[in-house]
Amino acid sequence: MTTTEARATERKPPQIVDMSWDPITRIIGNLGIYTKIDFANREVVECHSTSSLFRGYSVFMKGKDPRDAGFITSRICGICGDNHTTCSDYAQQMAYGVKPPMLAEHIVNLGEAAEYMFDHTIFQDNLVFVDFCEAMVKATNPGVLARAERTAAPRGDIHGYRTIADIMRAFNPFEGEIYKEALKVSRVTREMFCLMEGRHVHPSTLYPGGVGTMPQPTAFTDYLSRLMRIIDFIKKAVALNDDVFDFFYEALPGYEEVGRRRVLLGCWGAFQDPKVVDYRYETMNTWGKAMYVTPGIVVDGELVTNNLVDINLGLRIMLGSSFYEDWVNEDPFVTRDPLGNPVDMRHPWNQTTVPVPQKRDFDGNYSWVMSPRWLDPRTGDHLALDTGGGPLARLWSTALSGIVDTPYVKATGDSVRISLPKGESLPETTLEWRIPKWSNTIERDRARPYFVAYAAAMSLQFLEEAMGLVRSGDTKVFENYEVPDEAIGCGFHEAVRGVLSHHLVIKDKKIANYHPYPPTPWNASPRDMYGTPGPYEDAVQGQPIFEENGPDDFKGVDIMRTVRSFDPCLPCGVHMYVGKGKTLTTMHSPTYGASHG
Amino acid sequence: MGSIRVGRAQAKPDTPGHVSGMHQGNQGRYQDQTGHHRDGTSDARRSTGIHWKRHDALVDAMPNISPG
Repeated sequence: MTTTEARATERKPPQIVDMSWDPITRIIGNLGIYTKIDFANREVVECHSTSSLFRGYSVFMKGKDPRDAGFITSRICGICGDNHTTCSDYAQQMAYGVKPPMLAEHIVNLGEAAEYMFDHTIFQDNLVFVDFCEAMVKATNPGVLARAERTAAPRGDIHGYRTIADIMRAFNPFEGEIYKEALKVSRVTREMFCLMEGRHVHPSTLYPGGVGTMPQPTAFTDYLSRLMRIIDFIKKAVALNDDVFDFFYEALPGYEEVGRRRVLLGCWGAFQDPKVVDYRYETMNTWGKAMYVTPGIVVDGELVTNNLVDINLGLRIMLGSSFYEDWVNEDPFVTRDPLGNPVDMRHPWNQTTVPVPQKRDFDGNYSWVMSPRWLDPRTGDHLALDTGGGPLARLWSTALSGIVDTPYVKATGDSVRISLPKGESLPETTLEWRIPKWSNTIERDRARPYFVAYAAAMSLQFLEEAMGLVRSGDTKVFENYEVPDEAIGCGFHEAVRGVLSHHLVIKDKKIANYHPYPPTPWNASPRDMYGTPGPYEDAVQGQPIFEENGPDDFKGVDIMRTVRSFDPCLPCGVHMYVGKGKTLTTMHSPTYGASHG
Repeated sequence: MGSIRVGRAQAKPDTPGHVSGMHQGNQGRYQDQTGHHRDGTSDARRSTGIHWKRHDALVDAMPNISPG
């Protein structure tokens, strides 16, 4: 078993109550968490995570023009659709053998950086903080709130709040100051995104081979002026997050056990280096390591690999508790990768999705999510990697690799240093994210504002390089290509909440097989054929309960904090459902008149 | 699709993607759009203004770059 080991403590006779939350609110999609809670020993005994949503992108992508893939897969998600477009374009660029011009890469990087800043801010400040706000803490741990009133905020000189309770009040939904300011900031960051990618969240200017964004100097200066407006907000966000999360460790001893699991993190890398990347599979290890967020797999605090080829070949899609038929007896699409390495039948390139709708049974099949795993070549274990909500794995992997060395961001081996310039009210600041002792709820949440700072710092570099190209007259943003008859491709990227891969097989210029693997299938996966629970289940199972309420008025805030720390986003978790009795109307407006309809 | 029931396909995928005789964007319009070069670079003639097709930057000291 590759799960986290249970803690040994003195036990009282168990008093087990079934508790379930289905659907969980403040996330996207249908996620259900079914638990058994032992109120006598104040811990969660068992947990199942389930999704009741089937979508079937991998089913209906077949037979389509591969050039449409980026536009279609963008619709997988209503918040990180552009990550799918970007990843799909990466996979297509590999299949077509085309490398976009430098300026196009910078524009994509700038758009993606704005997306990270937007999405992390709105999720953290408007959705996660509700679990840490004054109203919630008063309802679940009144003693903690009383202590927060008495505790001065150590970084009050930066963010301006005197006590921890003042910060918690500013977190209150709809009325708190931070809640309202975050909404404004997420508008500004979305504007930055639209300057680069045309439209949020389904980009209109990203294509394989380049972008359609007009590279005018004003596009970049407009981006820069907006970035400088929010740069102080980012510095404050890091400071007040650190204050609140440090306070939770202090006020509730043992809180580090909440949502803690073995360190099993995966990061597929983000922000291509335009000078290095050529999108060839053969050189994928080189340009993968040149990415400005280094890919990597971290097991028990050690970096196992940061080679994208190894990461790719180790991917396994398992069944065990999912509503699908096995595909191992189908014909494989890809038996060898372009380097000659064998490709497993359970690899996304060879997967065939055969849905089998059935009743939910927690002893058998209970979810539409499959179980993606990574085969550890050292031990032969199928690791249930999680993404740590995205930022934790990205920062951890980048820090351990120690490759990133840019004017604004530097990976040191055990930390990541991020320098942000002077803003309207705060001076130039260097933030340092250090590798934490645990992979737990608080550390997943804490990493998020640091990654917003990381994205802001990287975008300053991309802006400088992009404006240098525009000033030299190099405004080429698109490279033409031909769609080959047969080809394969894979794209590795980071969606806002973690790893994202797209695997593509082209036959007769059409899509023969297409499998997007976004972060939530990794995080929300059910038990696989070996019985290994998915990350949500593993993190919640065995976690202590600190909430003071009993079974009658139990809110489950500790469990919700854990689940939300992974930034769950279920629409991508399962791969169209029209409810009974709903009529679809077909409208078709041919571009060149009805004769073409 | 296994044993799952599916409806009739509603899309007609053979609708033409291109009608012959129509201009295709990837080929560019280099004769008509002065200031855009075949190697992907561009210069100040991309700007609008008086006789913009003829003018590069007005003064040698000015950078001959795309306008904002």
